[in-house]
Amino acid sequence: MNPDEIRITAEPIDTARCKFLVSQPLHTAGVRRFSSPEEAKGSPLAEAIFAIPGAAVAELIVSGNLITVVKGSATPWPAVGKSIGAAIRSALASGAPPIAPKPAAAVADDDTLYDRVAGLFDSEVNPMVARHGGRVELIDVQDAVVMLRMGGGCQGCGMADVTLRQGIEAMLQQHVPEVKGVVDITDHSAGTDPYFAAAKK
Amino acid sequence: MPRPSSPRLLLLLPTTTYRTAAFVEAARRLGVALTVASDEPSTFESSQPAGLLTLDFAHLDRAVEQAAVFAREHPIAGVVGVDDDTAVLAAVIVERLGARELKGNPVTAALAARDKHRQRVLLAEHGVPAPAFELHALEEDPAGLAHRVRYPCVLKPLRLSASRGVMRADDGAGFVSAFGRLKAILKQPDVAACGEPARHFLVEDFVPGVEVALEGLVADGCLRVLALFDKPDPLDGPFFEETIYVTPSRLPERAERAIAACAQAAVTALGIREGPVHAELRHNDRGAWLIELAARPIGGRCGAVLRFETREGGNAKRETLSLEEVVIRHALGMPLTALEREQRAAGVMMIPVPGTGGGVLREVRGVAEARAVPLVEDVAITAHRGQTLVPWPEGSRYPGFIFARGETPEAVEAALRMAHRRLQFVTG
Repeated sequence: MNPDEIRITAEPIDTARCKFLVSQPLHTAGVRRFSSPEEAKGSPLAEAIFAIPGAAVAELIVSGNLITVVKGSATPWPAVGKSIGAAIRSALASGAPPIAPKPAAAVADDDTLYDRVAGLFDSEVNPMVARHGGRVELIDVQDAVVMLRMGGGCQGCGMADVTLRQGIEAMLQQHVPEVKGVVDITDHSAGTDPYFAAAKK
Repeated sequence: MPRPSSPRLLLLLPTTTYRTAAFVEAARRLGVALTVASDEPSTFESSQPAGLLTLDFAHLDRAVEQAAVFAREHPIAGVVGVDDDTAVLAAVIVERLGARELKGNPVTAALAARDKHRQRVLLAEHGVPAPAFELHALEEDPAGLAHRVRYPCVLKPLRLSASRGVMRADDGAGFVSAFGRLKAILKQPDVAACGEPARHFLVEDFVPGVEVALEGLVADGCLRVLALFDKPDPLDGPFFEETIYVTPSRLPERAERAIAACAQAAVTALGIREGPVHAELRHNDRGAWLIELAARPIGGRCGAVLRFETREGGNAKRETLSLEEVVIRHALGMPLTALEREQRAAGVMMIPVPGTGGGVLREVRGVAEARAVPLVEDVAITAHRGQTLVPWPEGSRYPGFIFARGETPEAVEAALRMAHRRLQFVTG
C-alpha cells in the first residue's frame, strides 16, 4: 500500500484525547484497547505509538478505521499527531496486521463481562438516561474496561460527566465489580440536542 | 475509586455549568468521595443516593435543610460551589453544618461577592479603589437620570455574570439607549426570577486603563495570587465581552504588586476567609482599581489554561495540579505547600459571537485548521448546532474556547489570534 494514499483526519476531543479517522481499516475484529507498552507487544501500530518520544501515551483504543489516543504529556496534538500519522502510515504500508487479535483467554473473560454489562445497560442504565432523552451504547469491554458512547440528550450535555462517573460507573461498581474502568468515547462536541446546555457560569 | 475512608466533598454544580468535567475529574484524581449536588435531579439519583443529590438552589433555606439531612447519613468534609450562586449556598451550608470543621466563607462575604452593589458599598467603606457608583431603580426616568450622571459611565446589573447587560454610555442619548436595553434584559424571565436585584442597577464611573484578571486562593483571609491574566484586547465598551486572557502578565512588577494589594484589600473588605477568588481589576496612572471580585474560580472553561506544580513535605517529586484540584484540596484541608503556576505562558480565547446579530449556529468550519496552529492545544466548540448565538450585551454564552501554551505571552496571544482567524461560524 502506498502510504501517500492513506488519509488521516485528527479530531482532538480535549488536551488528553484525540481521535484519528483513517481511510483504511486498522483492526476489523472488534475493539482493542491498550493501556501500556507491555500490552501493545505484538501489535506493531500500538507499539509504535507508545514509543513516540515525549508524548507519554497512556492508552489506545482501536476499532475499525478509528484509533483514539490518550496522552499524558502537555505536548499539543498538532505535534504529537504528526508522529501518530507517520506510525499509522508505516504500519499499514508494511502489509502486516497493525493490531493483533485479542488473546483468547482475555476474550472469554471480557465476553462474560460484556454480557453482564450489556444486561445492566438494557435493564437499568438506558431506562434511566432515557428520561432525559439520552442513550448509552456499549461499544466493547477490553481488559475489564468498559467502552461506551453516549447519544441523544447525553451527547454534549453539561452534566454528561456526572451521569458517567456518578451514575453509570458507580452502578457498574455495584453490579459488576470486576469492571476496572469506564472510557467514554463520545464526541460530545457533535451533540445537537443536549439535555442541559452549558453557559458561562 | 475512592477508599471507604476518603473525605467526602459536596460539589455544588448548576446543570448549566461548563465546569462539570473539570471538577468531577479532579475529584477522581484526588481519590475523594464525591457527591454532586445540582438544581435538577439526575436520572441516577435514586440508585446512587450517596453520589448524587438534588438541592433547591433557588431557595437557600430549603437547600440547606436538604444538605443537612444528607450530611447526617453521609458526613461531609468540604463544600465547593463553582459559580456566584453556589458560592453563597456553599457558605450557608458550611455555616449550618459547622464552620469550625469545614472551610468556608461567612455568608455575608459570599453575599457581598455576589451582589455588585453590596460589594461596592463595602469597598468604599474600606477605602478600596473602585469606581464611584450610584444605585438606581428600573422605574426611574431614564431621561432625568441621563442629565444627572457623569460621563463616561457604565450601566451594570447587580447579579448577572459574564458582563451580560454591562454597557458604557458617553452621553445622554447613549445612556437612554443603554437604559432601555438593560431594562429589557432585566425583564427577561430567567433574570427577573432573581427578584429585587433584577429591579435595580448600578451607574458607575468608567475607569480607563488596562484590565487584568486575577485568580487567587484565600486561606484564613490571606490572598495567594495563583495567576494574573492580561486582557490584551481593550475593554473600553460599549459592551464588555471578554476575548483573550494570557498569563503571565506583561505589566511591570510594580503594577502587579499594586494589583495584588488591591485584590487583598478587597478580600479583606468583603470578609472573604477561604477558597478561590476571581477578580477583575484595572490599572492606570493612578494605580490599581477593583472592578469586581467573585468568591469562585474563573468562569467558563478558562480554568483549563491553568496548571500548577506543588512539592509536598520536601518531596523532590513535583506534582502537577489543575485549578480544580487546587480548589478541592483547599476545601478538604489537604496540603498545598510550594504551589506555583507552571513556568510556561498560557492563554485562552473566549470565542466572540460572530457578526453583530448572532443567529442560529449551522456549522463551524476550520476547527482542524485552527487546532493545527502551533502552540494551540485545543479548540473547544461548546455551542451546538441549532443553538441561537446571542451577542453581548444581551448574550452571555461564548460559542467556544481556544487554548494555547508557549514560551512567551506574546507567542501565545499570536497563536490564539491566528487560530481564531481560521474559524468560520456559519449561522442562519
